[in-house]
Amino acid sequence: MLQIVADGLIIGAIVSLGAIGLTLTFSVLRFSNFGHGEFLAWGAYFAFTALSFFGATAAGKAMPIAPFSFGLPLLAATAVAAGLTALLVLLLDAALFRRLRQQGAITLVIASFGAALALRNLLLFFYGGVPLYYSQDLQIALVLLPRSVSGGLRITPDQMFVLGLTLFTVVGVHLFLSRSTLGRAMRATSMNPQLARVAGIDPERVLRATWVVGGVLAAVAGVFAGLTVQLRPTLGLDLLLPLFAAVILGGIGSVWGAVLGGLIVGLAESAAVHIVGAEYRAAAAFVVLIAILLVRPTGLFAEKTG
Amino acid sequence: MSTPALQIESLVAAYEPGLPIVRGASLSLATAEILAILGPNGAGKSTLVKAAAGLVPIVSGKVWLHGRDITQVPAHRRVFEGLAFVPQTENVFGNLSIGENLELAAAILKLPRAQALAPVYAMFPDLQRQRGLLASRLSGGQRQMLAVARALIANPRVLVLDEPSAGLSPKLVAEVLAQLRLVRDSGVSVLLVEQNVKAALAVADRAAVMVEGVERIVADVQSLRGDPRIAELYLGRHVVAQPTARAD
Amino acid sequence: MSELGAWQGWLLGWISYGSFFLVFACSYAVIVLGLNLQWGYTGLFNVGVAGFVAVGAYTSAILTTPEAADRVGGFGWPVAAGWAAAMLTSGAVGLLVGAVALRLRHDYLAITTFGVAVSIQLLATNLQKLTGGTFGVQFIPKPLQGWLGTGLVWNLAYLALVALLLFGVYSALQTLTASPWGRVLRAIREDEAAAESLGKRAYFYRLQSFVIGSMLMGLGGAMSAHFVGYIAPEDFLPILTFQLWAMLIVGGAGNHRGAVLGAFLVWGFWTTAGGLLRGFVPQAEQARAAALQVVLIGMLIALVLVLRPRGLIGEKVSAAVGK
Repeated sequence: MLQIVADGLIIGAIVSLGAIGLTLTFSVLRFSNFGHGEFLAWGAYFAFTALSFFGATAAGKAMPIAPFSFGLPLLAATAVAAGLTALLVLLLDAALFRRLRQQGAITLVIASFGAALALRNLLLFFYGGVPLYYSQDLQIALVLLPRSVSGGLRITPDQMFVLGLTLFTVVGVHLFLSRSTLGRAMRATSMNPQLARVAGIDPERVLRATWVVGGVLAAVAGVFAGLTVQLRPTLGLDLLLPLFAAVILGGIGSVWGAVLGGLIVGLAESAAVHIVGAEYRAAAAFVVLIAILLVRPTGLFAEKTG
Repeated sequence: MSTPALQIESLVAAYEPGLPIVRGASLSLATAEILAILGPNGAGKSTLVKAAAGLVPIVSGKVWLHGRDITQVPAHRRVFEGLAFVPQTENVFGNLSIGENLELAAAILKLPRAQALAPVYAMFPDLQRQRGLLASRLSGGQRQMLAVARALIANPRVLVLDEPSAGLSPKLVAEVLAQLRLVRDSGVSVLLVEQNVKAALAVADRAAVMVEGVERIVADVQSLRGDPRIAELYLGRHVVAQPTARAD
Repeated sequence: MSELGAWQGWLLGWISYGSFFLVFACSYAVIVLGLNLQWGYTGLFNVGVAGFVAVGAYTSAILTTPEAADRVGGFGWPVAAGWAAAMLTSGAVGLLVGAVALRLRHDYLAITTFGVAVSIQLLATNLQKLTGGTFGVQFIPKPLQGWLGTGLVWNLAYLALVALLLFGVYSALQTLTASPWGRVLRAIREDEAAAESLGKRAYFYRLQSFVIGSMLMGLGGAMSAHFVGYIAPEDFLPILTFQLWAMLIVGGAGNHRGAVLGAFLVWGFWTTAGGLLRGFVPQAEQARAAALQVVLIGMLIALVLVLRPRGLIGEKVSAAVGK
C-alpha cells in the first residue's frame, strides 16, 4: 500500500512539473498545446546529449555522487537542457504558433498536434527507437520499511532526489509567480488580458516568459522521467494524457491545482499498475480525466479567467 | 493656446476591417478639464475611448497626447506615456486584494511602492482601510473606486473612463463623479464616456455628443443644459449638425 | 499463365499498385467525410479519429473472421453485416464520448477524444482474448473472394465496391446537409445566438452529427481492414489521426468535395514521399526514413495552416462553444 503511494509520488512529481508549464501556457496562450509532452521528451534527450559531452570531457571528475547514479555532469546537463528546451519552445512559437494566433484556438491545437508528431519523429530520427539511459549503473533501492509493514516501502536514492528537487522547484515557481513582478504580470494576464495591457503589461513579454517557464519545467520533468525510467521517443506521447488530466483536474491556470492534479494522476497510475497491471497505466489518466469532466469540469481550483 | 492634453483627429476605428464604428471623430481635451462623451447606444463612444487607449485598431486619423503622436503606440505602453484607461467592466483583478491590485500597478510601472500608493490612498481612504479585502468581494461602488485608483497610480496626465457610473445607484454615481472632480482639480484631464446624461452634465466642464461614429455637438456644459437637441439625439430624431456658438 | 509482353507486365503492376492506392484513398475519404461532418459542419474537434476507425475495423474483423486460437472468434458473419456492426459500435462510442464531452469547451472535447483513442489502442493491445493483442486479427475475409479469386480482378472489384460506397456516402451526406436538419446544423455552427436560443436542442443536433461522423469513421476502418485482410494496434496510432486531419485541412473543411479531394491528394503525397524515401534510403535506415516522412508531412500541414488555412476548396469554420 505504501509502495503504491511512494511510486505514485514519483510519477506524480514528473507529471506535476510538466503540468505546471502546461497549465500556464493553457491559461495565458489560451489553447491546449498537444506538443507539451514533446518538450519533456526533448528536454530529456537534450540532457542525454549534453551528458555524453560532459562525461567525455570531464572524464575522471564525472563520477557519480554516491548514493545517486549521477554526479555534477547530469546536473549541468539538466541546466543546459532547460536552456535548449526553452529555446526550442520559443522557436516553435515564432515559427508556427505566433503566425496562427489570429486564426483561433482550434487551428493552434491542430498545429500543436502536428508539431508534436514532427518533434517526436525527429527524436526517432536522431536517436533511434532503442531505449537510452543516463547511467548504466543499477541503483539499489533503500528499504525504508520491511515488507511486513503495510507491504513495505522501498525507494531509490534517485527517486528521493526527484521528490526533493520537485518540491524545491514547485516552491520556487510559486514564489516567482506570487512575488516577482514578471510572475504577477503573468498571473494578471491570464486572469484578465485586456486589463493587464491597460495596466502596462506587455503581452508579448508575458507570452515569451510563459513559454520559457513551461519549457524549463518540462525539461526538468523530462530529465526526471529519463532518470527514473528510461529515455524513449514516445516519452512525450506517453505523458501527454496524464499531463492534460492533471491540468484539467487542478483547474486551468492554477499552479497548485496542477501540482495536486499531477500527484493524483500519479497515484492513480501507480494504483493501476499494482492492481490491474502495468499495461493499463495509461488508462488511469483517462479514468481520472473522465471522472473530473463528469463531476467538476472546471477543476478543483478553477481560477476566474477574464 | 496651450497644447491640449489629448487630441483626437479624424479618427476612424473598427473592430473588423470594413466595419468602422468611429468614422472620423475629432476631440480636444484641455489640461485639467472634464470632457464627457454622450450619445445614443451604438454611437461609438466606447469604441472611441478604447481606440484612444490602444485597444481597438485605428484605421486612420491620429491621437496626440500632450503634443506627442501616440497613434502607433501599443496599448500597454500608453500608460507609460501618461494615458490611463479604466474599462467599463472587469476593471480590477478579482483574485487580488485591493492592496495587491495597487501594488501590482505600481510594480508594473516600476514605481517605488510606498511613494506610488500614498497619494492614491490619500485620495481614497476607504481603500486604504480595507486594503486586504479581495477585489471580487467588493461592492460595485468600491470596485469602481479601486479601478480609478489603479489607473491613478500611474500619475497620468489623462484619465479615460468608459461609463464609470454603469450599474451604480444614484448616490454612488454622485460619489464616483465627485471623485473625478478631485482628480481634475489635481491637474489631471479626464475624458469619460457616459450614458447617464444628467450625472455627466453635473460634473463635466464640456460635453461632446456622438452620433453614428462622429461628434455632432461639442460645447460647454452650461450651454448644453436644457438644449433640446440632446433629447432629440437620444430619442433618435435626426439633428442637423450645426457648429454651436462657443464650441471648442 | 500466358506470356505477357514487358509493357503489359509493367502496366499490370501499375494497375495493381493503383488499385491499392485507390482503395485506401476511398476508405480514407469516407472517414474524412465523417470528420468533416463533425468539424466542418458542426465545429466539433475530434483528435481521436484513429480510435473510432479502430473500433470499426476491429468490430467487423472480430465478427467476420473464422475461429482463431486464443482469441474470441468464429462468428462467421457475412462481410456486409460486419460493416453494419462496425458502424453501430463506432457510433456507440461516439454517443458515449459526446454525452460526456460535447457540452464542454472545445479543447476539452479534443483532449477527451485523444484520451479515447489512447485507451482504445491500449485495449486493442492488451485484450488479447478479444483483439489478438499485438498480433492483431488475421485472415479477415475478403468479400466475393469465392467467386473472383485473389488476384488483380478481385482488387479491381473491391475497388469498384468501395468507390460505389464512397459515392453513396457522399450523396447521402449531400442530401443530409441540404435538408432541414442540415440547415439547423449550419445555423447552430454559424450563429452563436441561434445556438443559444435553441438551447438544449442544439446539443442534440451536435450529438447526432458527432455520432453520424463516428459511424462513418468506423465504416472506413472496416473498408480498409477487409481489403488488407489483417489489422493490428499499430495501424491506429496518432499518426493516422493526423493524416486524416491533414486530408481535411488540405482539401478544405466545410464541404464534402473538399474532404474527398483532400483524402486523395494527401494520400498521394504521403505514398509518394514514402516511396521516394524508401527508394533513395538504404535498407538499414528505413525506420529513420519513415520518421522523416512524418516530419515532412507535419511541416506540410504547418505550411498549409499558415499560408492557406481554408485549404484548397474549404470554407471558414470556427469551433462550436458547445455550452
